[in-house]
Amino acid sequence: MHAARDMTAEPVGAPAVLTIRGLSKTFPGTKALDRVDFDVRPGEIHALIGQNGSGKSTLIKVLAGYHQPDPGSDIRLAGEEVDLRDTTASRDAGFRFVHQDLGLVETLSAVDNLTLGRELDTAFGGRIRWGAECRDAERRMRALGYDFDVRRPVAELGAAERTGIAIARALWDWEQARVLIVDEPTASLPREEVKVLFDALDRVRKQGLGVIYVSHRLDEIFKIGDRVTVLRDGKRVGTWDVDELDPDRLVSLMVGSVELRPPHDRVFRGSHEVALEIRQLRGLEVDNVDIEARRGEVVGIAGLTGSGREEVLPLLFGTVSRGGEVRVDGRVVPAEPRGAMAAGMALVPADRRAEGAVVGLSVRENCTLTDLERHSARTGRLNRSAERAEVLAWIEELDVRPRRPDADFGTLSGGNQQKIVLAKWLRRRPRVLLLDEPTQGVDVHAKATIHALAREVAADGAVVVIASSDDAELCDTCDRVLVMRSGEVVAEVQGDRLTPEELARLQLEVART
Amino acid sequence: MLSQIDRVASPEPAMAAEAAVQPRAADARSRPSWLRLLSVKRLSAAYLWIFFIILFGLITPDTFLTETTFRLVFRSGVITCVLALAFLVPLTAGAYDLSVGAVMSLALGLMVYLSIHTGLPTLVAAALVLVVCASCGVVSGFIIVRLRVNSFIATLGVSQLLLGAVLLISNNTQLVGALPQSWSDLGNNDFLKIPIVVYFLVALALVLWYVLEFTRIGRYLFATGGNPDAARLAGVPTNRIIWCAFIVSATIAGLAGVIFSMQSGLYSSSIGPGYLFPAVAAVFLGASQLSQRPNVWGTLIAYFALAFGIQGLVLSASSASVWSQPVFQGVSLIIAVALASRPARRKLREAKSVAAATSTAS
Repeated sequence: MHAARDMTAEPVGAPAVLTIRGLSKTFPGTKALDRVDFDVRPGEIHALIGQNGSGKSTLIKVLAGYHQPDPGSDIRLAGEEVDLRDTTASRDAGFRFVHQDLGLVETLSAVDNLTLGRELDTAFGGRIRWGAECRDAERRMRALGYDFDVRRPVAELGAAERTGIAIARALWDWEQARVLIVDEPTASLPREEVKVLFDALDRVRKQGLGVIYVSHRLDEIFKIGDRVTVLRDGKRVGTWDVDELDPDRLVSLMVGSVELRPPHDRVFRGSHEVALEIRQLRGLEVDNVDIEARRGEVVGIAGLTGSGREEVLPLLFGTVSRGGEVRVDGRVVPAEPRGAMAAGMALVPADRRAEGAVVGLSVRENCTLTDLERHSARTGRLNRSAERAEVLAWIEELDVRPRRPDADFGTLSGGNQQKIVLAKWLRRRPRVLLLDEPTQGVDVHAKATIHALAREVAADGAVVVIASSDDAELCDTCDRVLVMRSGEVVAEVQGDRLTPEELARLQLEVART
Repeated sequence: MLSQIDRVASPEPAMAAEAAVQPRAADARSRPSWLRLLSVKRLSAAYLWIFFIILFGLITPDTFLTETTFRLVFRSGVITCVLALAFLVPLTAGAYDLSVGAVMSLALGLMVYLSIHTGLPTLVAAALVLVVCASCGVVSGFIIVRLRVNSFIATLGVSQLLLGAVLLISNNTQLVGALPQSWSDLGNNDFLKIPIVVYFLVALALVLWYVLEFTRIGRYLFATGGNPDAARLAGVPTNRIIWCAFIVSATIAGLAGVIFSMQSGLYSSSIGPGYLFPAVAAVFLGASQLSQRPNVWGTLIAYFALAFGIQGLVLSASSASVWSQPVFQGVSLIIAVALASRPARRKLREAKSVAAATSTAS
């Protein structure tokens, strides 16, 4: 921390192209950025790192003109103050962006994509000089170190080439560009293709542009970065030359020490009966994952975005087709939702509005949808008052507001919506409860309720599996956490080793020293 | 607390104000509920209907306000209404069946053809026709569920195939059926001063209403229509539901053709497609009524409100008979869908702002 203060705003070497002083951004209820200083020199790749919620994305959105900083923040380009009131102003000032989802039109060719939203070289009558455009596009891709047919549709190209096109498009007008911001460019990139991207970024650096590089993969920062700035909880921890640091120290800086909670001594002492058995589970990212969970156990799945963590639970429930075998209490479970439900599985999906609930229906209709037979008379008529009574009981139990079974589901707050989604599965008394990001976009109170419920369900003899990007959540609620990287389970943590710091280390693939 | 919620939930600001003026007596709770039942938002089409009757009753009292007008509108409306109910069923599951007009045409063509070329008893012929129509629904369902073709495109294609089939049967000529008198009596006679076909419509509407609003199948249909992914993940057999919806839809459309054969034993290939649009307009306008989602009674109210408006125009200005129907139907469809998408857009905006707040916090 001392090193951090010493480093503050003392530009060494070339004068900075981008200087940020005292940048704050307040959202209702949270301070996303708190007096952050940051600068980028021409011809350097400056890595910006921090965990989820550290403020990286807010900083980038401020530079993009998407968010307005709090008054008193000072952003200068080459010494001149800039007003980033909207995205156009940001572009005019010289900021260029390559976002994680590159924003390419897949059905169009590389040339078409490069020409989108730009004045074209036209001949008489507005005819586009495609020949000239193609040659130009080719030349530019070569300049970045790429060599492929620019007339091919983007959908046929590899991930590295696509990233290249996005960079070429962002830097179409080299002369006006000052700072290139690359946001998690390698999240979806196979390892071997990363090298091509680095080569391109290196060429950009040599042109004298400042590059801000955001990534979760720490090893990359050591390969390509010149300097690194670490953010934590909206504050700048410090800025270092990359050579000064090693990966282990970087993780400590990211995670911090204040966050250390008492290592929990909860060692699972339940039954030894294996209730959930997963053999060689395969999906798009998930690659041969084996998991065994015992009755009464809460198992967590941790991993960065792209590690396969997001895919495991949908695969288990049969939302998407899968390879491998899933057994509940020894019986093979078919890979489709109804079969999974029949086997006693339940899934609370990560995307509540898209998959968790039917937003147009009422709370009651959403809650009882998982099992309507319970309220059907022999004539097929649904007994609405019985339905209402059951839903009201759940509303009382989970403290849902408002206490009206017939309220529109869409009018509830995120936390209350999630409670109803949970209720619709708990009413089936599942033997295997799968919770995917169960507390995303949920208030603190609801979060505590949901965690307590997960423990309770396990205590009643079910298996609970929680996949989450919130490491603290996993540490608080799970008996055992599996860490995923590149589609595989690479570590298993339990007992007193189960701390957010340890989980962060394992996800960021830094060896424990 | 309860009355507060009631007031918040009341759709009309004017009504909320009215409720606020009311003394907070014991009836404060019950008053908003029956007021809500009659609110303009829930029953705008019914009020429109009354408005048309008063308006044209004042303009042309001696021709408009007669038994003949009412009888005419109801009798001729039955076919369109049955067709509208056919369109309604898949729409509750979020799918469009644009082939209902063509299926009706096929049913009518087959009824007439069978009466000419076979000696089948008319009821047996009608049953056979319904089976053929149901199998058209099986085909549509197959294309949509198994081949994963968008329902709009699939049924548009199927309707062209069916029109081709009917042209083949009729040889592109007008067919005059040899249907028995008792059959056309069903189509043209009254029972208790009300056309018999209206009873058919009411019976069908009652059955559909029961199924849609009070059974598991109805709940599954609306859940599938609201969010097919979420419904599937909650254990709703969405594919089966959609497939069945198309079979039911085609069968009901076939029924419309059978009823048509009662009213007129004539077939020409121009009959059928023209009925699609009024039916669609009625369903969409009806979806803005009552429960604010596609529903049976809203559809019927919407259809008759429009039909009376058109009839009134025809009677008050003879030149209007040509253009009034398409203009009315077109305007009402656009207004209905625009009204229906307004709350949806508002919800979307809210959802976006919530999402923005949560994403920025992270």
